Amino acid sequence: MINELKDPRKIFGEAVIEASETNPNIVVLSADSSSGSGLGDFKKKFPDRHFEFGIMEQGVTGIACGLATTGKIPVFAAIAPFVTARNFEMFRNDLGYMNQNVKVVGRCAGLTYDQLGSTHHSIDDVAIIRTIPGVTIINPGDPVTIKKAVHAMIDHVGPCYMKIGSPKMPVLYEEEVDFNLGKGIVIKDGHDVTLIGTGTVLSKAVAAAKLLEDEGISVRLIDIHTIKPLDRELILSAARETGRIVTVEEHFTTGGLGSAVAEICSQECPVQMKMIGIGDYYASNGPYEELLGKYGLQPDLIKETVIKFIKNK
Amino acid sequence: MDPKEILKLEYTALNIRRNILRLIRAGESGHVGGALSSVEIVTALYFNLLNIDPGNPKWPQRDRFVLSAGHKCLVLYAALAERGFFDKSVLDTYGALDSRIPGHPNMHKLPGVETNTGALGHGLSIAGGMAIGLRLDRSPAKVYVLMGDGELAEGSNWEAASAAAMHKLDNLVVFVDRNRLQISGPTLEVMSYEPLDERWRSFGWRVRIIDGHDLELIISTVNETPFEKGKPSVIIADTIKSKGLSFAEGKVSYHYWKANPGEMEQAEHDLNNIEKQLKAKMERFGL
Ligand SMILES: Cc1ncc(C[n+]2csc(CCOP(=O)(O)OP(=O)(O)O)c2C)c(N)n1
Ligand SMILES: [Mg+2]
Repeated sequence: MINELKDPRKIFGEAVIEASETNPNIVVLSADSSSGSGLGDFKKKFPDRHFEFGIMEQGVTGIACGLATTGKIPVFAAIAPFVTARNFEMFRNDLGYMNQNVKVVGRCAGLTYDQLGSTHHSIDDVAIIRTIPGVTIINPGDPVTIKKAVHAMIDHVGPCYMKIGSPKMPVLYEEEVDFNLGKGIVIKDGHDVTLIGTGTVLSKAVAAAKLLEDEGISVRLIDIHTIKPLDRELILSAARETGRIVTVEEHFTTGGLGSAVAEICSQECPVQMKMIGIGDYYASNGPYEELLGKYGLQPDLIKETVIKFIKNK
Repeated sequence: MDPKEILKLEYTALNIRRNILRLIRAGESGHVGGALSSVEIVTALYFNLLNIDPGNPKWPQRDRFVLSAGHKCLVLYAALAERGFFDKSVLDTYGALDSRIPGHPNMHKLPGVETNTGALGHGLSIAGGMAIGLRLDRSPAKVYVLMGDGELAEGSNWEAASAAAMHKLDNLVVFVDRNRLQISGPTLEVMSYEPLDERWRSFGWRVRIIDGHDLELIISTVNETPFEKGKPSVIIADTIKSKGLSFAEGKVSYHYWKANPGEMEQAEHDLNNIEKQLKAKMERFGL
């Protein structure tokens, strides 16, 4: 049901179980991290396909690579910074360079580990993993697309990084929504400005778009759930047809969705852009919704930023 | 040791447990299990062993305490507040926006915090660097590290352990809080590093195994370090996770505690009972 709140980790774990019932190659690897990743039931249901290694994310990344060379499809889920930043070189060489069919899932990503501070925030994962050739990066923005993303990720052959948050999140899509890796979803058409959201703050962009419509501003609203490969055609047509793009992400503005969009637009169809996200500083600690407010990621603040951006042009 | 001194320390340990409850009351949840298992270790350090000055937290000759298992920060905040590094009212901001006491410690926010830990497996290397630097300065200061037993699975620790032995860092003292639990279950079932003592010894360290809740033993053991000249020392402290809370002791599910009012009441009751026992002990000593 639209707007119903659902637990992203639970949805993720259920989808992995669902896929594993028909695909015997799926194995789950844990670095003392399965229970917190929604995979506790997987362990109960498929004890022979669940491997626990304790707190050694770098080692597990290599083990995942080795398993993949034997035709297995390892799913390795843990706290996002520890499966992206900590093990970066293993990710790059063993999963990327060796092009292995491993599915790495960073959970409690973005600022959702709100009060645990900067060691546990993951607001650089897209930036760093995006530099690895051949890795698909998926950042779904609601429970329905999280589930679809899991199945798409398993069906895709090649290394993937998917990120999910932890607080319950609203359903934004009907079950029938078309979900394809590498293809953005146009949630709403418009001509004054394009608003592109991703992941945990997609719902904030959706709410901001409504507020902007109330002010008489026509917004094209796009969900970029696959940050790599990026839906180049969709972004270029938005650039051409609306002339302005605002990106919304729970990530550093350095290297994330905004940067990826700018890399395409600046070379192929330069437009005015505004990137909403976290600047060049360590994010603070505190309750999640308050942190989002501090960094301009609440709907009313996104609305104000967009209005200012349009007026200044 | 003078029994009066020990009793005083036991009272301090109780106050530190009370401070931990105060933090949880403010933040409504937190990593309580591993904080409570380390209370005696941290109490012995901050109230007997460490050569520190709360009024001058950056004093270059100070002993260093590196909380490698950063999620145990509640015990660090509780001890620093008790020792006077900052006002206890700061404890009431746990969980609030921009609080100076985040869910993992930040040296730029709070005096007395030496390192920004939280990602496991960083502390021992940092401490090794501190130990080399202090030795270069011919400083008598020591470097103490507190690690979790689950944390030992991070390979970086074993790089640091080798380096410390190779560089003969006998000014380095490590505590392993062996509460035998981590998030997913008992360390023996998740990823065993037993026999711990033999592992450390084979890495060139000198090892003692003690009861990690015995304040007098913790102090006398540290006072014997280095156990051998030219070797780093590790103290494997056998502890009980969530020590002090009757309903949570030894239970894996209290690694992170979301306190409901009933449990909070029971926790206060449990600490009041400890206080009663301490008072009875005082009377026996005629204090
Ligand atoms: C690199 C890294 N991986 C994972 C975590 C998540 N984590 C926090 S505490 C913990 C378990 C720690 O167990 P242990 O070291 O035994 O600590 P204690 O029992 O004293 O709480 C884990 C896996 C982390 N903080 N850092
Ligand atoms: Mg432990």
